[in-house]
Amino acid sequence: MLKKLVDFANKREMRESRDEMVVGEIVLAMAQLGMPAIRFVATAGQQNVRFATPADPLLHSVAVTLDRKTGGGAISDAVVGSKAVLTVVAEVKNYLADPDDLVHMWRTDFANITRMPLLGQVKLDHQLNSVLATKKLITELNELVAEGGAGRAQLTQLLHATLDELRGHLAPYKRQSPFEIDG
Amino acid sequence: MDQQTVEQNEAIFVDLVASSWRRHSEMVRATQTDDLLLGAMIASGVGQGWSLIDLGSDGRTHLIRFDHAASQSRMVIAIDSLAEDLQTAKVLGRLARVTVGYGRRVDNLGTVFQAVKTEIKSAIIASDEPGVITVDGDLSTGYVYATVPLLLDLDEYLSGPLQVDYPKLSAHVGAVVHSLNKYLTGRLAV
Repeated sequence: MLKKLVDFANKREMRESRDEMVVGEIVLAMAQLGMPAIRFVATAGQQNVRFATPADPLLHSVAVTLDRKTGGGAISDAVVGSKAVLTVVAEVKNYLADPDDLVHMWRTDFANITRMPLLGQVKLDHQLNSVLATKKLITELNELVAEGGAGRAQLTQLLHATLDELRGHLAPYKRQSPFEIDG
Repeated sequence: MDQQTVEQNEAIFVDLVASSWRRHSEMVRATQTDDLLLGAMIASGVGQGWSLIDLGSDGRTHLIRFDHAASQSRMVIAIDSLAEDLQTAKVLGRLARVTVGYGRRVDNLGTVFQAVKTEIKSAIIASDEPGVITVDGDLSTGYVYATVPLLLDLDEYLSGPLQVDYPKLSAHVGAVVHSLNKYLTGRLAV
């Protein structure tokens, strides 16, 4: 009887930890893409990880946030699944900026007001001398931690495709400077 | 102002901005080294078949827990960075208190109770001095943990800016886990 209770507690713990498992896979996938993690902020239900991009000539950093919405309990996991919102924010940094940029930034931000990252659109935002592109995806955590390597391959492909899409949106805003700083 | 003077002034300006950015990056990197090592530990652990089941971090203090389903074992690593600012990092090195724990699933409840009794003794002599192995028992999940605090210089695990020496990191963490596993096996007959 006690063993059954212990087994039940372990299964519950593994179910509740599914988002952390996916974060672990994200950190591994990004490391294999040449992007080491440089900042973690983690609370119950939401984890935010920032990655440096030393090998990427365009991007300065990438931030990935995983916000779990469902699946903490056995019933919700069985009925709805373990759904989470995966937010990917890619940053381009311009090391020399001038006041004309601010006017251009305001115009672009105004044009992006109606964009909804959760509906598959990429939203652009300016923060001083950084340009940020955000995309949100609803993911099923059970698929991303599937055994046999299928989950890992799916996650790597998802991150690769999302980063390529964000690069495409950010490329026009990168101003080359005589020097580039990594991370 | 002639063209040559204009170009010289612009070159000086670019050098000033570039060197400012280098110094700024050095200050930022001082706060990131512990996170960089944390990420490397996660990538290394997950790559070796462990699953990350717990992650807590406020930017300075970090806690990660791994589970290995096949061997019913768990690993806990806590990192408390002591050198978040550049001055401390340059003078003392990038020191961090790193606590490594290794746990095994035990079906015999008596063994878990014995570990809990040992935990009480461990709490009496709770110390942050390195090398003192303490024992912890989790009745709800049936795991018994042995943990040891260490004081490490994180710079020893970097092979360059934003580059981690993965073989050295894996070897050191593996050696600690091996020793804790041996302790659990011998001390508590787990």
